[in-house]
Amino acid sequence: MKDSLTTVVRSLIFVAFALILCALVFQFAGYNALTMLWAVADGAFLRSGAIEQSLRWALPLFITAVGVGISFRAGFFNIGAQGQFYVGAICAAFAAEAFKGGPAFLVIPALLISGMLGGALWALWPGLLRLRSGTDEVITTLMGNFMAGLLLVYVTSGPLKDPSGSGQQASSRPLDAAYRISDSLGLSPTIIAIAAAVGILMWLLVNRTAFGVLASLAGRNGTMVEWQGARLWKLGLSSFLISGALAGLAGTIEFMGPNGRIASGFLPAHGFTAILIALVANLSVLGTAAAAVFFGGLASAALYLPIMAGLPAAAIDIINAAIALFITARSKLVDRVLRFGGRPS
Amino acid sequence: MNEIIIAILRSGTPLIYVTLAGVIAQRAGVWNLGLEGLMIIGACATIVGIMLTNSILAAILIAIVICVLASILLWFVIDRLKANPIIAGLGLTGLGIGGTALAVQSIFGSQASVTAPFGIPKLGPAFGAYGVLSISVAAMPFVVFGMWVLLRRTRFGLRLAACGEHPFAARSVGANPSRMRLVALSIGGVLCAIGGAELAAGSLQFFAQGMTAGRGFMAFAAVIFGASHPVGATFAALFFAVVGALGIRAQLMFGDKIPHDLLQALPYLATVFGVWLSGKLRGGTKAASSFAELKDQ
Repeated sequence: MKDSLTTVVRSLIFVAFALILCALVFQFAGYNALTMLWAVADGAFLRSGAIEQSLRWALPLFITAVGVGISFRAGFFNIGAQGQFYVGAICAAFAAEAFKGGPAFLVIPALLISGMLGGALWALWPGLLRLRSGTDEVITTLMGNFMAGLLLVYVTSGPLKDPSGSGQQASSRPLDAAYRISDSLGLSPTIIAIAAAVGILMWLLVNRTAFGVLASLAGRNGTMVEWQGARLWKLGLSSFLISGALAGLAGTIEFMGPNGRIASGFLPAHGFTAILIALVANLSVLGTAAAAVFFGGLASAALYLPIMAGLPAAAIDIINAAIALFITARSKLVDRVLRFGGRPS
Repeated sequence: MNEIIIAILRSGTPLIYVTLAGVIAQRAGVWNLGLEGLMIIGACATIVGIMLTNSILAAILIAIVICVLASILLWFVIDRLKANPIIAGLGLTGLGIGGTALAVQSIFGSQASVTAPFGIPKLGPAFGAYGVLSISVAAMPFVVFGMWVLLRRTRFGLRLAACGEHPFAARSVGANPSRMRLVALSIGGVLCAIGGAELAAGSLQFFAQGMTAGRGFMAFAAVIFGASHPVGATFAALFFAVVGALGIRAQLMFGDKIPHDLLQALPYLATVFGVWLSGKLRGGTKAASSFAELKDQ
């Protein structure tokens, strides 16, 4: 317990460090750093209705981040959450076209499942390449993100194009109101229930099943797991597929919930933020939920910053990047401070 | 034929400079995924530098200084704070993309792209059809050769490789792996600045938000594909450039039959193929194998 507390405090120290660094950078660039930090806090949690908005961003991020955590646990660096998120949303959008007119209680689950299948498909090929021929998954999943982005551009300006749409951003035809799982505010009992179900199932999977234990062991020492009689490639491929399916589910929720359609290049930072959330949470499911609320707050504040502090929304990307730069750091100084009065190391 | 070669050299040269930066980092034992960020910083700093100083030399020097500083930051986080190089590199990339967007916005108002009055000098009419290429394209083969000499034929290069492959053994003969990584990443910063400058000011003379579009990651893949050998990686980068140029060619020829968004994916697909092939030929690489150590804290 002490150890996990130390881990949390260490994460928080580096997050705070990154925030201070960003504040300095913004001050240097000619913005008022205090106004900015206040605007972030205000936009994320303090303003009335801000918590609901933060949760709206936090829930899909949580779902993707739990999946990222599972593949990281098993020792696979699947950084393709963004692509899996896109392909999931694309598959759900195609399924919505195919099932048009069906009863909502059948179509909605069918769309969610096709989104998960789509995301899993986009994680399948890097997984197979990695486990069959040892191709490094860092590069394949990264390239998969770019390819999925182009696929999204193609789909929204080609087969699924909304003919009435105008403006710079191509988007798909809107989903029938009957199949939407939330209004444009994006917080509904259905979405909360899905996120809760994902959280509980994944917590059980990680902490209470042989798969979870073996996958975590495989991340530390694959050879030992093989000696114990487990199939390493099966474990690995499953963790790839689970993480892809969850990212695809998050994409589908964004499609069926707040957005109601898919647009080219929508939510470009989702995957990266989800990776950060998983790392800040040190890959634990419960921690992921807490971290998701924090980063959901930042995402929600991004919309609020231009109005409040005159800062471009890119400011939030910079804050996220600075956190990424430091989040895996382990400073001896920080450790010494944390161990003060504790057990000797 | 000439125009295809020109197109390949134009898109390949920035990639090759950045690839060489990746090669030297790789040989020092650092998986540098910050290349994308360093490249876009170099591109942005060059264009902004031209606007501010009216001199291409000063602009490239500014870009070099900023890229080296950013590389030192990456070194500090990876080496001193023992951060995971992949996540830290992605963080630097995010800082580069977001930071350049912010910089352009705060210096020039809310412009998505900035156009400079002039760029890197061209070779000139003496070179016939190739005169439209910039001088950094012509310098590229010499830089590749210089890099090969540095890494394979000098005491420094061999020590660098030793530090990358077996830091403990290198330390026992008096080399300092940590300092070697600093030097390697700094040289990489210089190369990324030149690569970014060539991208933004070589033939285009403008900077747009997110204009590197994954080239830094492609350069990183070229490092893997080329077995972190300077010449091999250069040819890997050229291969990606050839595929890209063929894609553009195919867009012109079959644009009505194949959607051009899908043709644009060709270089990324070629990258996956290249990494797969190098894994097949030499066995897998192991970037992520030590990642689970994070949880053991």
